[in-house]
Amino acid sequence: MPERTVSIASSVGLHARPASLFSQAAAKAGVPVTLTTKAGKSVNAASILGILSLGIGHGEEVVLKAEGDGADAALDSLVELLSTDLDKE
Amino acid sequence: MADTALTSLLAEESIQLDRTAVDRFDAVRQCGAALVAAGAVDESYVDAMIQRENTVSTFVGEGVAIPHGTLAGKESVKRDALVVLRFPEGVDWEGNAVSVCVGIAAAGGGHIALLSQLAEILLDPAKAEQLRTATSSEQVYALLTPSDDDDD
Repeated sequence: MPERTVSIASSVGLHARPASLFSQAAAKAGVPVTLTTKAGKSVNAASILGILSLGIGHGEEVVLKAEGDGADAALDSLVELLSTDLDKE
Repeated sequence: MADTALTSLLAEESIQLDRTAVDRFDAVRQCGAALVAAGAVDESYVDAMIQRENTVSTFVGEGVAIPHGTLAGKESVKRDALVVLRFPEGVDWEGNAVSVCVGIAAAGGGHIALLSQLAEILLDPAKAEQLRTATSSEQVYALLTPSDDDDD
């Protein structure tokens, strides 16, 4: 299964606006995407509550996994999103 | 764990379970006003909350929204606090029905731990349902109290 490791660029971590934007993008990815923390907790990347529950801070590494047609492309664009400071307005 | 208890941030006066709002911005303003009344934020934080709502909806699912300020609004936070406002008739949140708003004031990184605890609770559909239908502050406090799994 394709996977990518990425560290959270947003200065506030993965919550609030960055978490909303990321989960919306994951929901539109066309393939199911899971996000796993270093501690080994996994959630559906499209679930904002799931993502918020992880309390992921700035600079933390997470692993994204997806399966199916277009999984690689979907992961690439989600990685790009997480590598950007999404809290800049 | 060093997590701040959610209940310690929530004053009893900040639990208002029978509100009505004409739209989501009205609901956000009411959450802001409750945070101002609790002495947690300056008036300007309310504008920061509206700004946040304008940029990205704070709807998180389960009929719940979590209005809070932008990063720029953090300077108007005097202390971390929560307010719980319930709208039994529901508020239209860009096509989603919201019946509970948890307004959040957080100055530092405490934000993340706080949201994480709240999200953990809402991920349990039974607890989310109880929050949507709560009619007393005791019920709200009970829901926000972490359940100790020390039973056996």
